[in-house]
Amino acid sequence: MAGVLTRAGGLVLQRVLMLAALLALVFAAVELLPGDAARATSERGETAADLAARRSLLGLDRPLAVRFWDWMSGLPTGDLGMSARGEKVTALLAGPFPQTLLLGGLALLVTAVVSVALGCWAAARPGGAADRGVTASATAVLALPEFVVAVGLLLVLSSWTGWFPAVTLTGADGGVADPSMLVLPVLALAVPQIGWNTRIVRAALADQARAPHLETAVLDGLPPRRVLLFHLLPGALPTIAAGLATSTGMLFGGAVVVETVFNHPGIGTLLTGAVGDRDAPLVAGVVAVTGAVVTGVLLLADLVRARFEGGRA
Amino acid sequence: MDVSRRRLLAVGGGLGAAALLAGCGGGADGAPARGGANDRPRTGGVLRVGALGRPNAITRDPHGTQTNESDYLILALLFDTLTVPGGSGAVTAPRLATRWEPSEDLRTWRFTLAQGARFHDGSPVTAEDVVWSLKRLRATPAGASRLPGIRAEGIRADGPDTVVLVSDHPNAELPLLTRLTTFVLKKDTRDADLVKGNGTGPFKLEWFRDGNARLVRNDHWHGGRPHLDAIEVKIFATPQAMANALLGGQIDVASNVGPVAARVAGSRRDIQTVRRPGDMAMPVVMRTADGPFADPRVREALRLAVDRKAMVDQVLSGYGQVGNDILGTADPAYLGSAVPQRARDLARAKALLAEAEFDTNATYELFTTEDIAGLAESATLFATQVREAGVNVKVVKQESAAFWDRTWLKAPLYTTYWGTNDSVLFLASKTMLPDAGQNEAGWKDEDFDTAYRAATGERDAARRRAALAEVQKIQHERSGYLLWGVADGIDLAGPKVRGLPKLPGYGRVQLERAWLAS
Repeated sequence: MAGVLTRAGGLVLQRVLMLAALLALVFAAVELLPGDAARATSERGETAADLAARRSLLGLDRPLAVRFWDWMSGLPTGDLGMSARGEKVTALLAGPFPQTLLLGGLALLVTAVVSVALGCWAAARPGGAADRGVTASATAVLALPEFVVAVGLLLVLSSWTGWFPAVTLTGADGGVADPSMLVLPVLALAVPQIGWNTRIVRAALADQARAPHLETAVLDGLPPRRVLLFHLLPGALPTIAAGLATSTGMLFGGAVVVETVFNHPGIGTLLTGAVGDRDAPLVAGVVAVTGAVVTGVLLLADLVRARFEGGRA
Repeated sequence: MDVSRRRLLAVGGGLGAAALLAGCGGGADGAPARGGANDRPRTGGVLRVGALGRPNAITRDPHGTQTNESDYLILALLFDTLTVPGGSGAVTAPRLATRWEPSEDLRTWRFTLAQGARFHDGSPVTAEDVVWSLKRLRATPAGASRLPGIRAEGIRADGPDTVVLVSDHPNAELPLLTRLTTFVLKKDTRDADLVKGNGTGPFKLEWFRDGNARLVRNDHWHGGRPHLDAIEVKIFATPQAMANALLGGQIDVASNVGPVAARVAGSRRDIQTVRRPGDMAMPVVMRTADGPFADPRVREALRLAVDRKAMVDQVLSGYGQVGNDILGTADPAYLGSAVPQRARDLARAKALLAEAEFDTNATYELFTTEDIAGLAESATLFATQVREAGVNVKVVKQESAAFWDRTWLKAPLYTTYWGTNDSVLFLASKTMLPDAGQNEAGWKDEDFDTAYRAATGERDAARRRAALAEVQKIQHERSGYLLWGVADGIDLAGPKVRGLPKLPGYGRVQLERAWLAS
């Protein structure tokens, strides 16, 4: 038991350190961009003295390391600092982040269900028509950038057919005004990930099929569906979980693009605006919360692997 | 950064979709239901307006830095400024101030407030509220530029309904300065209460969330009862998404959506295109203080080398007018055809360059940004055109933050842009006086300064008009600006929308007279 805890603790520590390093990198990257937050958020009529005052107000006259440390030291208390325009970063994230989580979460769910279903269908008869068709189309769509998928979906399912709304609008509660507005963005995010994960599921099942205990099961005359669900799938689960966990990060990346195309009120537009503003605390804030979610999902995948592989060993 | 590259790709993709979408919708039947000017406005209805904005730049402060068009639209419907941009012959129209008059020396101006004007909470507007608001505006970082020539101590009340503004110098055009930013708040409004939007404007705030808002009619507005029951403002990060929303019927107006969307929507007979001339100038700045373009002959050569018609047709998709190197094309006092239109003359351009011993072997960098649609394209086409006169121009596209930090006010050759081009003197005061903080070309010309002072400071109106003409002629002749054209502002609207403003720039936010046909 102690061993498991130590191992889990080590994993958590490792992930947290990686996240901290990533945040340091974000601060440094924003610093390297030409121009600074004081200039980017000023208006034309401001004088050099106004700019200097803004610089000192935003703390830009202090060394990068000091600014980073200041920001990091607020992190344990949930304080993500102030944006370049003087708003609390947590307040700026409060509306959009749940919207991105909703979009990403739904896309992950769709990805998981569809890719496992397709992968199983393909694996049921290796080399059959279904297998070849699924594998080929999975390969084709996994290479598609999200924006191509987004624009294609927009054209076919909105402009031509009028089945779904072209953009997302929000109501007084900040939420999506109508669930139908989520369909196109979720699909645009999920399709490339379905391609990727279907291949992983298919490969993981094929791996399992070569395991010795499988031959026994087949020789015992168990029906193929039973073999698939109770013998193949559990063994393939760690690999499938790892694949989906990797997709979480990709989903956040894709969300930036997809949210822009569909005007989804998530962190995508917040992030592009923050980069334009040279707003290191806001960029880092977005990275911190998404990083925390990705880290959590990766940890979960690690634990699944530990549980299943450990259980069998 | 990868983010911005992907964003660009996404934007491009969105455009493609919008183009195809419009192409498909072209078969839709039904005559465009544009109402005549004589239609009686109908009361009622909710107008859904899309406007551009970014969530990280949202501001609720009427005197804050307004980056988002969506924020400005909301604020301009909730709060009143003293005056607003006017149409038909007058640059300045009444709003919270119903009339204004200067002293003999044109330095002291008295503004009379509208009778019976009230804040949304019911309390009456007093001169004290206006004074407090103007002083608050004056105290912002850009305050000196927002109220040029007016110090805090020069703002005072005279009785309950008169506000007095004293200028450092005679200024016949002072009311012009009160048009866009002088939002009036209730005296002693705390910063924390700004979000309540307690203004005097034609609409009241129902809710605001993440840049979106719903505003309901102010039945007691001093300017008359608005027609619409409510206006819903929707924030959009890109014009492409906004155009798609309009074409799909999710919004009724796409505010300032641009020429690309207009071209796309051209085949849809149910969509109205509102053109607002004089909206955006995108001049090329040639530095006059020093450097390769300091010689006026070189600047004249570049002005003769550019093909203005081709620029308007290609960069603005034809949605604009040819410029004549004078800023303020929508000003009723704009000279227009009274000054001969500069046309392309490559032979003369080459001769002038030779005369000035301009180095045609060197390559000159032209800095530009993608801050507004068409700007970078204008630089590219300009470079191609002047190359035919022997000037080697290389376009350097900079990221916005880098441009404003390193290039603006400094580089010998760059593109700039100015909105709301309805006043020659306003733009001259901002960009061409020696002490103007935004003298983009480093220009200094004593004759110009004299003409400007006369145009704003002469008591005699006829002499002011003559001086204003002189201001324009000097600009045309030798300033640091090459103004090849001015873009129309373009809004798209659904079939039932009526009464949208046709004014350039921020005049577009005056939606209090808009209505929806049944």
